[in-house]
Amino acid sequence: MTDAILAEADARALEALRRKNSIIRRLLRDPPATLALAFLVLILLGALLAPWIVPYDPFANSMRLRLKAPGFVGPDGALYLLGTDAQGRDILSRILYGLRATIGIGAIAVLCGGGLGVLIGTLAAYYRRLDTPLMRFIDVLLSFPSILFGLALAAVLGPGLFSLCVALSIAAIPTIARVARGAATVVMQQDYMEAGRALGLGDGALIWRYLLLNCGSTILIYATLQLGQSILLGSVLSFLGLGAQPPFAELGSMTADGRKFLQAFPHVATIPALTIFFIVLAFNVLGDALRDALDPKLRQ
Amino acid sequence: MFALIVQRLIISIPVLLGVLLIGFLLLQVVPTDPAIILAGPTASQAEIEAIRQQLGLDRPLWEQFGLYLLRVLQFDLGRSMISNRPVLDELEATLGPTFELMLACLVWAIPVGIALGTQAARQRGQWTDRVIMAFSVAGVSMPIFVVGLLLIQYVGGAGLLPFQGRGGPLWTGAGLLHVVLPALTLGAVFIGPVARMTRTSVLETLGADYVRTARAKGASERRVVLRHALRNALIPVVTLIGLQIGFLLGGAVVTETMYSWPGVGRMAVGAISSSDFPVAQGAIMVLAVSFIAINLVVDVFYGYLDPRIGQR
Repeated sequence: MTDAILAEADARALEALRRKNSIIRRLLRDPPATLALAFLVLILLGALLAPWIVPYDPFANSMRLRLKAPGFVGPDGALYLLGTDAQGRDILSRILYGLRATIGIGAIAVLCGGGLGVLIGTLAAYYRRLDTPLMRFIDVLLSFPSILFGLALAAVLGPGLFSLCVALSIAAIPTIARVARGAATVVMQQDYMEAGRALGLGDGALIWRYLLLNCGSTILIYATLQLGQSILLGSVLSFLGLGAQPPFAELGSMTADGRKFLQAFPHVATIPALTIFFIVLAFNVLGDALRDALDPKLRQ
Repeated sequence: MFALIVQRLIISIPVLLGVLLIGFLLLQVVPTDPAIILAGPTASQAEIEAIRQQLGLDRPLWEQFGLYLLRVLQFDLGRSMISNRPVLDELEATLGPTFELMLACLVWAIPVGIALGTQAARQRGQWTDRVIMAFSVAGVSMPIFVVGLLLIQYVGGAGLLPFQGRGGPLWTGAGLLHVVLPALTLGAVFIGPVARMTRTSVLETLGADYVRTARAKGASERRVVLRHALRNALIPVVTLIGLQIGFLLGGAVVTETMYSWPGVGRMAVGAISSSDFPVAQGAIMVLAVSFIAINLVVDVFYGYLDPRIGQR
């Protein structure tokens, strides 16, 4: 008898656990999303470990090794898996370093812009008076093409990594602000907010301890997805020559470099270009799957 | 209708002023003093001061902004630091090509996007739907220059179509041939969102009561989808297209640069690279103002499609 009750309790506990993990489980049951996740983990590892795993120095020029095709084996038996670029630099090594730069720039933008966005979004949800003006401002920001920010900032601050990061940060603000406001509005209606206020907690404590901590996971998910968008925009601006400057290895500027040899040596431009494409694609596939998993309306 | 247009115009004024202010500040924070550049390397301090006075650079900032506004209202955007021609003259020639490129893109991308989305909705869950949606996600994830690179390499490189510059007005044969690849490139990133939105929207209307009624009346499938489902699904699609046309300007900057298309975007990028600040400022302002104008037109068109909006 006791055994049966215990077994039932166990089953219920397991069921609860399972429900809690259901978002991750649902993701893992979706093959494209799993593939995207695995790919992103691999890319991230490559970027993090780049200095230790690059086969060659990504900045070492060599006139003898200019524009070799992928799979080229040098006279000393050295293998250049993805070939070399116009300066004889190993493309695989540059891609690995480029990942660092491209993802790093995107991450900085999401951290700075996202941080500001979270601030704006939570303030708009917490102080109803601020809601309309703040969100109107966000609407204007959202409706403005981000490339124009990039152009304007490059014109003012000069093309370079700093103006690129500022432009990408501004572009990241509106999405995150909207998500944060949405999540915070839901939390605002919870009883514990009322309870906290009844306990005499100040605005700062309420926002920090209750509001932000409870919106955290939702915001984090969308911030991760925004990373894909920031990478896309960053690579476009770098491609235009408004971001990373040579010889710095960044996927967008590497593509621009290779453009001159597109007809005879397509791999120089295509390899970094396709790398960006697959990274952004992985983020978008993962994002769609996450949104489906989070949205109860679509769950059937 | 008229009231709506006026209302939207009034809303645009603060945004326009903001754009002008940013454009003005752009030249303020530029590290180089325009007077020194205009005076040339051999000029004395007195000569530089004279030019500063002549340009009004010695006055307080707000006064300079007022003067700047007056100049802009008289269509005086200054002179290029490189060619010394008026910025407006330089920009005038670029507006047509940019407009042409966007038009050529929309003409094929909107119908194709809507058709693909409708087809995906009709065949929901089947492989047609999956393939179309996979392409749409790929299109959204593709940096526009990747499309350009692939088209230039495989179509342009094979000598099938020209990929450098503009061949003339659209109505001439050469002009039409030259616009094909840039328009394909720009449209490729436009189709994905349109197809997606159409699919979602048509799926919704396909489940609506009036569609069931139409089916019950015995209307043909074609009529049900085109007249009843798609027509009612179009409003969110138009909104999205409106939003996307603004972003198309951004895409046009990249496309123009890649195909040496003589438009505003290419001029902006070129001017920034060569530190020609007045031209860069003018080009960015033209892009921003076109963006505002496009949104205005879309808003009004939207009000025309759905009369309830104008009355709000």
